[in-house]
Amino acid sequence: MKNLPKILIICAAVGAFGYGVGKFFSMSPPIMAGAMAGLTLIYGILLTKQHRLPKEKSFLKNIMTKVPLVATIAVILWFGAGHFGFPYWWQIEFVSFSVIGMIFFIILDLKSMKVERGPGDSIIRLIGTYALPSALFITITAQLPQFNPEHELAKLNKKPVTTFVAGPEAIAAGREIFESNKCFNCHKVFWEGNSDRGPNLGTKQIGLYSADYIKEQIVDPRKKQSPGFEDPKSVKAMPTYYGEDLNEAELLSLVSYLKTMRDPTHIPVEGKFPDQWTWWDDKQIVEEGKLVFEGKEPETEGLNCAVCHGADGIPMMTGAFDFRNPNNPDTKKMPDHMDVTLKDFPDALYYKRVTRGVDETPMAPWGTIFPHLYLWKAEAYSRTFHDPLDKRTAKKPVPPIPTKEEIEGWKKDGLFLDPLL
Amino acid sequence: MPSSNVSEQKPFSFKLVLLALFAYSLVHLSPALPGASTSSFIQNLMGPQSVLAQDDEDEEDEEEGGDEEGGGEETGGEAAEGDEAAAEEDENAYLYDIGPAKDIKPTKELKDGGGYTFPGLGNRKATWGAAQLHILFASFILGCPMFVVIMEVMGARRTQGVRKAIILANVFMGVLTGVIIGIIGEIIVNIHHGVLYGMWACAFAALIVSFLNYFHLCMNTKISCIVGGVVGAFFAYLLVPTDHTTVQAIALAVLNGAVGGFLSTAIMFAEADYKFERLAHEITKVIGFCYSFTALTGGLFLFIMMVAYKDFISYLVTAYPILFMIGYPTLFILETIVLYIYVYSWDPLNKTNKKGRHIVLGVILNILGLSLLCALDGPATFMQTPPKPYDALFTTMTEWDRIATMTWMPLNYHRLVGNGTFGGFMVGVISAYMYLWSKDPKEKEYYDWVGYMGNFIGVLFMIPLPAMGYIFVREIYQYDATIGMYIMSDRESMFMLVQGLLIGTMFTASNIYMWVSMKRIENAHRFFPAMKLGFILIVIAATIWFTPRRFFATMMPEPGMNPDMVLPDNLAFLALMISKNTAAFALVTVTLINYIFYTISTRTGKIGWGKINPLGPYILIFMGFTDIWLMSWMGTIRELSRMNWHIYKVFKDVTPEKYAPTLAESGVFVTGVVWTFFIIMTAIIWLGIKYPKTKKTKTEDAPAAAPQMAE
Repeated sequence: MKNLPKILIICAAVGAFGYGVGKFFSMSPPIMAGAMAGLTLIYGILLTKQHRLPKEKSFLKNIMTKVPLVATIAVILWFGAGHFGFPYWWQIEFVSFSVIGMIFFIILDLKSMKVERGPGDSIIRLIGTYALPSALFITITAQLPQFNPEHELAKLNKKPVTTFVAGPEAIAAGREIFESNKCFNCHKVFWEGNSDRGPNLGTKQIGLYSADYIKEQIVDPRKKQSPGFEDPKSVKAMPTYYGEDLNEAELLSLVSYLKTMRDPTHIPVEGKFPDQWTWWDDKQIVEEGKLVFEGKEPETEGLNCAVCHGADGIPMMTGAFDFRNPNNPDTKKMPDHMDVTLKDFPDALYYKRVTRGVDETPMAPWGTIFPHLYLWKAEAYSRTFHDPLDKRTAKKPVPPIPTKEEIEGWKKDGLFLDPLL
Repeated sequence: MPSSNVSEQKPFSFKLVLLALFAYSLVHLSPALPGASTSSFIQNLMGPQSVLAQDDEDEEDEEEGGDEEGGGEETGGEAAEGDEAAAEEDENAYLYDIGPAKDIKPTKELKDGGGYTFPGLGNRKATWGAAQLHILFASFILGCPMFVVIMEVMGARRTQGVRKAIILANVFMGVLTGVIIGIIGEIIVNIHHGVLYGMWACAFAALIVSFLNYFHLCMNTKISCIVGGVVGAFFAYLLVPTDHTTVQAIALAVLNGAVGGFLSTAIMFAEADYKFERLAHEITKVIGFCYSFTALTGGLFLFIMMVAYKDFISYLVTAYPILFMIGYPTLFILETIVLYIYVYSWDPLNKTNKKGRHIVLGVILNILGLSLLCALDGPATFMQTPPKPYDALFTTMTEWDRIATMTWMPLNYHRLVGNGTFGGFMVGVISAYMYLWSKDPKEKEYYDWVGYMGNFIGVLFMIPLPAMGYIFVREIYQYDATIGMYIMSDRESMFMLVQGLLIGTMFTASNIYMWVSMKRIENAHRFFPAMKLGFILIVIAATIWFTPRRFFATMMPEPGMNPDMVLPDNLAFLALMISKNTAAFALVTVTLINYIFYTISTRTGKIGWGKINPLGPYILIFMGFTDIWLMSWMGTIRELSRMNWHIYKVFKDVTPEKYAPTLAESGVFVTGVVWTFFIIMTAIIWLGIKYPKTKKTKTEDAPAAAPQMAE
């Protein structure tokens, strides 16, 4: 190994290059550096070793030596992939590629083909050469998932939306517009969709915002960026042509659909996966919530939580809930009373008590009067009385994304105050 | 004797067993995949036509039934029926609304799909087939001349005339090389105007260094690189229109200039080898045939369009009056003239020692070919990304605006490099055929070498090809992200998965070819363990490239699809561009490393030309077939990405065939097109190269009947 110092120097140089590449492309520089240096080291060792002429093997010998190894790799891949949560299609894919790798190595180690004995041989081999990729490509294209063109035809032949009348039809039409404009490509809606390029409009609860605001976000998406999506790539991601592409009726229908994106069981979630946070820990929201709580938010004129609960958290009225005490229990005046204390209040309970009020107390069903957007903000602020923002050591965990069944359950159980939801 | 019989029979029976296994796996292994069955396999192969045809029949049955029931009411009056029909017509008017190109009143033929339907195939497939065949032959006559001129220059004795011609050839090469390196810089390091910096720097470096070379003033490679770098950066700095020049841009210009200087010197003083000249001349013979087929298939394509989509073709032609009346005809005529002069002046100019002029003709032929390519890309990209606002298309916008669309230059770059790859791999196919058809060991040696060259050029161009595709799709996303999403995440997502698989196959086959070739080089085995590590990396990279975000064929699952086949969020990074780019980078790097090993082997060990493993030529054919299949596939993806629009958001396709065909249907159809192309090409290669040789050999073998005339 007299060349080892040289190899190590090259490895270090490649590692440094890898680090630079990783840094430039935001691809975990240490991993890039390690991977590139490691590979260079293996390459270096393999190149400096003395080698004998490789022995070519017959097909059968190849199979006998390679199948056990590949079978072991395939089993590891299958269970490994399963362990990490890959659905079975991906397990099949990884195992298939291990088999492809085996075929690859069989070809490399195979004995040289015999020379053609005549034109007949050449013709057969030629036809085989064309037949192999043809069969391969036809099989692959036939076996990968297919779509039914009839569904596309049905969508293409659907009458365009030209009029808008608020109601379930408009919401359904809005959903179709959302789908046909491929909004799902970047936005999830709760469990639906499979991309995190843009915010999950369900867990963000875009439906809490005003129709005008939502419309503005569609037509002029650069005006205000969703928190957590301020990076240059995300800023440019949302197309700006929807204002021209969609007619007024389509826009209104789309907004109607987006207005349904609400969650009565969890506070809104912000940020880009996996760096997400809830409004409980959002400094900006808490500040805005303070304005609502203290009756200074113009949009909720007439609402002033501090009147009863106190601007500094000391209740101003007998019986008013004291947010400073984390061990305060839930009110017993409500039939749906829960045996929990304030610090463990589920989001749903917080929301319910504020939007529906408490019987026989001045706590009115504020949800029937004021936009829920502001009520959630006020709740986020009220929490700081017993759990100040600057003293928190950990953020509240981001709740799991509600499932289809849960969402249907909210409607069935009447958790929304809005009949359209 | 009996023992030899046994040994001869064994492989035959073994082949039969293999064949049976293959047939078995086709039919029986595929159902192992969830949701698939033998019937679904066959159904998938047949595509949606059977389903749609069935529905049509059902509808017809229903209509017939309805007629029977309502037969007694026929006396209701024709006028009332007419009113109802008119009302229904109005109600369905949106179905025939072709969009902003409203001035075109959709005729009945347009609504029905062209009036006359192409027998057996339908109008859409007839157009699709003719267009693809035309593009394949056109690629041949654009890609192969690029290859031919490079070979001709390499094979020409360096006379004064040739050296003069090489100055021009070098500048041409400098432009192409600069554009390619510039785009890579633009994509990887985000250099604004990277293409322009690359092009000007490389072209001017090539020009100046070639001039100095010509006067023997700059013969040293290192000095050429330095001069090229300085001169190139200077001219790029002067010519690129920008407010401020960045350090990266200047570095790119210096690099391009150095490359231009290096190549210019290397080419100017390269040792002439007759093999290159012979190779160039032989390929030229095939180009002539292919030129005729390009014209034939182009005519076929146009005629089909005129019948099947006459309203649309009229509209398109109206958008380009100068191009269609003056531009195309002039370019076609000029190219035809130059091509035939190039082909038929080969020997006369050689004999009169005027090789330089012939090389100049070759460069002009390439310039004309590229101009034609760019001109054709105008309407092609207009259909995909017509300039906005649409209502100004025919008012304030000029014909040039309609040519220079957002994706025009990216498609030009993409097709330019794609044609280079095509040229290289087609030469590989020609070499493989000729190798198989030759009996003389010397001929075999020669065609073995041709295969090496074809593969070299093919791989060389294939390496920057992903970057060209990337820049094209990037522009599409910027124009209208909906098209990009349709390709990457919606109905074409599985098409793109197949594309990934094919690119993996191409790189794999190319590396196997290198491995097989190296087995006939003395001492090359010292690289084999390192190459095997590379092969493991290739398999891993191909797996990552193939890994999709979801295993259903649309963005959102449609009825009959499994919605659970989605990668969980924490694993989704495997399907993102960052992973795909890393995989592509690994594929390209490993191929490059293997090529370096291959090149070192050829320089340090004795090459057994003509003694390649007989598998070699078949790999070359396999690669050629795969490359052309991939090219046709990408064409299909590009065309389908317009969705139900002839011209995106301007002229809607309102015919019954406006939907996207399934993956299975497209796979079968593309295979059919590529088979057609290869059958014709096999005949052309035989007629163009093999047959004249056979004839010549026979004439030479015949006993001399009379003394030959003195020359």
